[in-house]
Amino acid sequence: MTDGAACSVCDSLARARAGDAAAFADLVRRHQRMVYSLALRMLADRHKAEDVAQEAFLQLHRKLARVQSGAHLLFWLRQVATRLAIDRLRREPRHESVPLEEDPGIASEPAAGDPLLQRHLRALIGELPPAARAVVLLRYQEDLEPVEIAEVLDMPVNTVKSHLKRSLASLRDRLGGTPGAAALPGDRQVP
Amino acid sequence: MSSDLDKPLREALRAVEPPTGFAERLAARIEREPLRRRDWRPARRWAPQALAASVLVAALGMYGWQLQRERQGLEARQQLLEALRVTGQKLDLAYRGVKDAARPATAGDAGA
Repeated sequence: MTDGAACSVCDSLARARAGDAAAFADLVRRHQRMVYSLALRMLADRHKAEDVAQEAFLQLHRKLARVQSGAHLLFWLRQVATRLAIDRLRREPRHESVPLEEDPGIASEPAAGDPLLQRHLRALIGELPPAARAVVLLRYQEDLEPVEIAEVLDMPVNTVKSHLKRSLASLRDRLGGTPGAAALPGDRQVP
Repeated sequence: MSSDLDKPLREALRAVEPPTGFAERLAARIEREPLRRRDWRPARRWAPQALAASVLVAALGMYGWQLQRERQGLEARQQLLEALRVTGQKLDLAYRGVKDAARPATAGDAGA
């Protein structure tokens, strides 16, 4: 986020705190993609994802006074969306559903890379345990470092690293027989 | 931390837009929120009156308890007075008995 954008978020935040509905709508518009995507990849269900994303914004609306800055807002939304999704998964264990890619309602922009591999990866991520799934999403969707993920999920950094390592190993193993996986580079690990 | 899966994972996990109408549905839910909050308002409005009523009931209870204690005190006083009166009567009778017992002897002496 650039300084200008951050400042603009601060402005919207201040106005939203004062009760300006348009400013709150602006905050929603800026963050809805991130919140909804986290919920969607966690739950693999469009309706549940929308419900969780809306609940996250409702909680934000109730607790706006506690949010201090644009960066805090981003952190807060990531944390609440992930927690709500994990809670939902614990309450309602996943059942077999229509794969997301076959659902016309969530078509996104044309995919870069191998669509088959991406679909397979998303399916495999959906099979990871909730905490490990959240770690992988925050790492690769939100591009957070392990230290930042540890803060968002309130878990030790070593646990985050361990989740990442085990999840990547599991994904790599299970991708072994996938046609798209042949295009992967070798087991190169850059520290 | 980087691996051969970094790029495919980033591509697979690109953020997607929420369904059309997301913001409108959220705004509608927020609109309904104040109604839920208003549900608490009558309770808040009646709370001082309920507190005042409770204080009044407590004060009346204390007053009643005080009256009952006073009545019990009066009854105890009357019982004590009654007991003193009965004791007085008994003492008076005993005194007369002693006095009567002494009188015949005096009369006998006089007769002799």
